[in-house]
Amino acid sequence: MTMGARIKTANLSLALLAAVLAGALVLTAAPEARAQEIQFSGPLAGAPAVRRLRLHREDRFDVAPIATFTLLDEFRRNILFGARATYHFTDSFGVGLFGTGGISYNAGLADELQEKAVDGRSCDNNPNSLACRRTAVSLCRGANCLEEKQLGSIVWMLAPQVTLVPFRGKFSFFGAFFMDSDISLFVGPAIIGLNERAECKKGECAGNFKLDSRVTGSATVGLGFNFYPTEYVSFGAEFRGTPFLWNTSGFDIAGKDTSFPDEAIDGDDQSFHLNPMLSVFASVQLPTEIRLSD
Amino acid sequence: MAKNQAAVGLLFSVALTLVPVVALAQAGVGESTKAADEKPAASASSKDEPPAGDTGTDAVAAAGDDEAGSLDELCKIDPENCVKVDMKAAADRELAQDMYAVQQIWALRKNRVEINPYGSITMNDQFVAHPGPGIGVNYYFLDWVAGGINGNVYQGLNAESDFNFQTSRAARVGQPITEYQWNVNGNVTLVPAYGKVAALSNFIFHYDFYFVAGAGAMSTRPKAVVDPDNRTFDWSVKPTWGVGGGIRIFFTRYLAAMLEIRDYMFLEDLENPSIATGIDEKGVPLAQDPSTWLAPDKSFTNNVQAQFGLSLFLPFTWKYELPK
Repeated sequence: MTMGARIKTANLSLALLAAVLAGALVLTAAPEARAQEIQFSGPLAGAPAVRRLRLHREDRFDVAPIATFTLLDEFRRNILFGARATYHFTDSFGVGLFGTGGISYNAGLADELQEKAVDGRSCDNNPNSLACRRTAVSLCRGANCLEEKQLGSIVWMLAPQVTLVPFRGKFSFFGAFFMDSDISLFVGPAIIGLNERAECKKGECAGNFKLDSRVTGSATVGLGFNFYPTEYVSFGAEFRGTPFLWNTSGFDIAGKDTSFPDEAIDGDDQSFHLNPMLSVFASVQLPTEIRLSD
Repeated sequence: MAKNQAAVGLLFSVALTLVPVVALAQAGVGESTKAADEKPAASASSKDEPPAGDTGTDAVAAAGDDEAGSLDELCKIDPENCVKVDMKAAADRELAQDMYAVQQIWALRKNRVEINPYGSITMNDQFVAHPGPGIGVNYYFLDWVAGGINGNVYQGLNAESDFNFQTSRAARVGQPITEYQWNVNGNVTLVPAYGKVAALSNFIFHYDFYFVAGAGAMSTRPKAVVDPDNRTFDWSVKPTWGVGGGIRIFFTRYLAAMLEIRDYMFLEDLENPSIATGIDEKGVPLAQDPSTWLAPDKSFTNNVQAQFGLSLFLPFTWKYELPK
């Protein structure tokens, strides 16, 4: 290394050292902020964390029209409309009923399959092609047949549920607009009405496509964010999971005790889904008068 | 020359440490008291102050009978210090008090650096998951505005799902899938909402909501599904942009848990679902010509991720300047 290069390297090292020192000092130096003093002794010492809390829930009915959207759908998306009614014995505990039903429509994958694997192959005209013979049990034939005869969807759901409200507080937008808020947890049994491809035995499934209604049981559990702009109106969103086994595709994907297709459509073709859903709601609390805690 | 540069650098760093970073919360008691004191004084001088030579008895008479009586007694005892203020008017005066809904904001962000290591999972791809670690660094110019960068590493963690296998087998279709290598983004973060929550009316924690928007670059490649015998793809870099939103829950004034949903959007190259037939002029099958491997059109792709991790704020704390 030449002398000039050494000097240049030394310059660089010193400058780097200075920059690192500057950065470290800036990051570790404690800035100052001004605020009101909080008294840890004196008349407020030992006082409860919250006084005169607005009791948005205690001894009140909460009635909410609610729209629910299924998430992470594979073939059919569902939009369910319904209501939720809850009576709260305390501000942190209530029991209620969630009921909903609605419509479904194709997700992108279902449209793509209909276009390429059903309409594109035209198996009614080419029944002996390799693709048509190999998919005879798992793919219907005809326009819109996936939607009308094969793909599963959620039709309705009914869930008695217990609601717990462990967290409540307030928040501000840009320090200018304030609202009470709380976070609720809910859990309960669920009864779900499904449309699902009808079962068929080996040797009878090729060309045999129709939807059957099925009712299944499960549990539902979720988390809600609730905001209270007034003393008797609130709005919010909740995330819910309702896990159960069902056959969303209508495909033959497994046989008895094996993951290999058995040319029959039955319970072996059902797979586990969490069935996540997002609901949005506006809610009214009755009676409209609100009470304050001590 | 080098020593001069180093000295200047060191002086600069010392100067930076001496610059106080100030955040305002509730106005100091001294200021409020001063404001409150000024009004009655002005009020007294304009209409309540008795004319020279007056004993102040008339002014006292304007107050209630009890007050007037007791003050009258005091004035008789000590005429020099007789109260010359209309007590009723003073009690009814408008106070100039500034009260903040959230006093002593627990987690100030202004002029602090946030270091945010996180893990991520794919939210919207049924066929292949792209989990991976990531890290973000943000500097907060204001309590509600930050600029920063973040990056994700995916290579080696891309995972095809059972759903992909089952759908491909049952319907005899090959779904074009891609692998991700990395991405980096420059971001602007807005924090419009800050709040606090009491857990079972006892433990109080603080949280905020934020929105983020950014742009950057992403390295991806298609995975050969349609013709894996002939096709292999190299990584290529594409521009990406995106938006997201998240929540931070503060455990301490410098440490928070965070959850963010982020949509990284980009135009993706997908594998050509068709295999070229024939041979070129050299006798090589067209299926082996790389120019035939990609689909003619790019696909608009949303890579929606859930990112969950920690936020570490530096400096770790700050000093509240409390009123006396």
